[in-house]
Amino acid sequence: MEAWLDFAKGPLFAFTFGIMIAGLFRLVFLQVYHLLVKKGRRLKDVPWMAMVRESLSWVIPVRHIEPGTKIFSIASFLMHIGVIVVPLFLLDHVVRWERFLGLDLPAVSKGTADILTLLTIACSLLLLAYRTFRARHRTVSGPVDYILLVLVLLPFVSGYLAMHPALNPLPWDVMMLTHILSAEVLFLMIPATKLAHVVLFFFDRISAVHWQLRPGAGDRVAEALYGEEVRI
Amino acid sequence: MDTTTAVPGIETIDSPSRRTLPYHLMKHPGDDLVDRFLEAFGRVLEFTDYKPLLDSYRRSNTKCNRCAVACPVLQASGDPKDIPCYRTNLLLGIYERYFTLDGWLKSRFSNAFELTEEIIFEMGDIFYRCTACRRCTRVCPLGFDHGLITRLGRYVLSLVDIVPKALQVSVQEQLEGETHNTSKVPRAGLLDVLEFLAEEMEEMLGVELEFPTDREDRDYVFFCAVSDYLMEPDTLMGNAAVLYASGDWDRWTIGLCNYDGINYGLFYSDWHLENIIKQLVSEVDRLRGRNILIGECGHASRAAHDFIPTFMGSKAPPVLNFMEYTLDCLRKGKITLDPDVITERVTYHDPCNIARSGWIVEQPREILRSFVPDFVEMTPRGSDNLCCGGGGGLVSVDEIHEFRMDIAGRMKAEQLRQTGAEIVVAPCANCKKQLKELVEYYDIPCRVAGLHDLILQSIVIPGGISPMERKERADLFTI
Repeated sequence: MEAWLDFAKGPLFAFTFGIMIAGLFRLVFLQVYHLLVKKGRRLKDVPWMAMVRESLSWVIPVRHIEPGTKIFSIASFLMHIGVIVVPLFLLDHVVRWERFLGLDLPAVSKGTADILTLLTIACSLLLLAYRTFRARHRTVSGPVDYILLVLVLLPFVSGYLAMHPALNPLPWDVMMLTHILSAEVLFLMIPATKLAHVVLFFFDRISAVHWQLRPGAGDRVAEALYGEEVRI
Repeated sequence: MDTTTAVPGIETIDSPSRRTLPYHLMKHPGDDLVDRFLEAFGRVLEFTDYKPLLDSYRRSNTKCNRCAVACPVLQASGDPKDIPCYRTNLLLGIYERYFTLDGWLKSRFSNAFELTEEIIFEMGDIFYRCTACRRCTRVCPLGFDHGLITRLGRYVLSLVDIVPKALQVSVQEQLEGETHNTSKVPRAGLLDVLEFLAEEMEEMLGVELEFPTDREDRDYVFFCAVSDYLMEPDTLMGNAAVLYASGDWDRWTIGLCNYDGINYGLFYSDWHLENIIKQLVSEVDRLRGRNILIGECGHASRAAHDFIPTFMGSKAPPVLNFMEYTLDCLRKGKITLDPDVITERVTYHDPCNIARSGWIVEQPREILRSFVPDFVEMTPRGSDNLCCGGGGGLVSVDEIHEFRMDIAGRMKAEQLRQTGAEIVVAPCANCKKQLKELVEYYDIPCRVAGLHDLILQSIVIPGGISPMERKERADLFTI
């Protein structure tokens, strides 16, 4: 089991983490390439600062909590805090980041991490309940939407249990292996699924750029489809 | 409810109405509709810049469903197919399946969805239930522009002849017809209307004037929704009164070759949008005008303001909405508005096309507050205001009147009733038509007016009849 743990912590971690970074880099590169190279000349009228301000305003989305979405929005917000803070700033993770990437990140206390983990688990379950029991949420949900939520839950649940032996029904190393492997599956999933919003959220927000249509494109589409005979 | 899987990850609601196109759309899709749709979609992706947008959206669509609370159509209909995210996913699903490598791979490993005529018909239906008001975008944590996706969906549909007849007939006349405008108002008809308006203004305001047509080298070339010449004389006279009272009568003109600001291309087609813009700009060039002044019309203002720079680049003449011009005159003291004339309670409806982006929100309010003592706000207001229910070209489609009243406009009617206002100011030709129908349908004791309709009543005309005297005369006439 120890060999498995070492493998998961070492080469497998490096591999999956590398895939995630490469995948996310590719997504960002494609978007930036398009913006700078293809649309570059037409970007001067885009309200960049307004878009950055708008994006930042969602970091603490207090003014965006609408009637009818209060519980969902608060749950979603709290979940995101845990999902960002715990993997990066839990002391055990900070040690790993330093060893693995040489990053010197500050650590949150164990108590804070515990509270955030429990909050993330509770909020994820609530979001899962929304998807399961609300018809409107079900309408827009597919299998992947449920699977990903469970997948996000797994490292938090297994990590919490591994750190709290009194609650842990399984041997520590089994739970720890589950924790690491589930996180690594998540690494692979991030660039390939909707979890890619971790980097794409800003590019989603720049619809003002996409409203800058390409001059002459309509003509070329019409010509390709209808030839000389343009149909109005 | 019977359900079938149409798009990966999406449950679609099956109903008999999905089997055929709604009756207001063109009905000649042909046998090879699916192939033609995919070819059209492919060509659009090849020549336009939508691909990165679709790539970003399909990769990050969390389907959180927050948009559901913002959509007035969905709030009224309760029908899951009206969820903005659901609609967007229909198109994203097709994009992923047919135009991405991983979508194609997925289809090799599972019994993936195939595009069918039914799904195309469903899109024809639900893309024209959306008013493209983009209110959902403001509550989407990721900022998804469902209005843009609706428009793209409509664009591809239009390439396979699925488009509302009312829009198609209008743009055909505008681009190919003799009159070059959507309401088929001939030049002689326009001149008659202008003569009539001048006579009315002479009688009402006590000043003699002649509308300037086809004058070259003017500061402002004026375009309004051409239907205003037939339906909204008070708005036009209000516009003219501001130009006269401000001393700018020699600085503006109406072109006689093209006098229609309407651009339905904004609602459904890049090709039409661009060609109508070019037609408009060529008229300004012909007259060597320096600015484009757009009357009270939301979509005409947005189409000109946002897309003239897009398509014409550095050659683009500046675009001004008439309310901006009026506010400028007011601030500079070039016009005076009498605050004792309008005594009714007045509220203001924000047209989506000028307010959602925050472009024109406070300007009309500043004007209104300067001469309307009893001004009340709607809730929500400004950029968050509700669509009238006729946006996105829907108001021009008479066949869906019932949908516009019962569903798309129901929230607006309720919002309007709650203000207790006797006059609702709606500075947009589309909104005016929809709101007039709404107040009648829901029996709301409220009159729909343009901002310049009220200005016409209150403006002080140098050397003319005073606003109070005009009011007394009008009251006498009413009795």
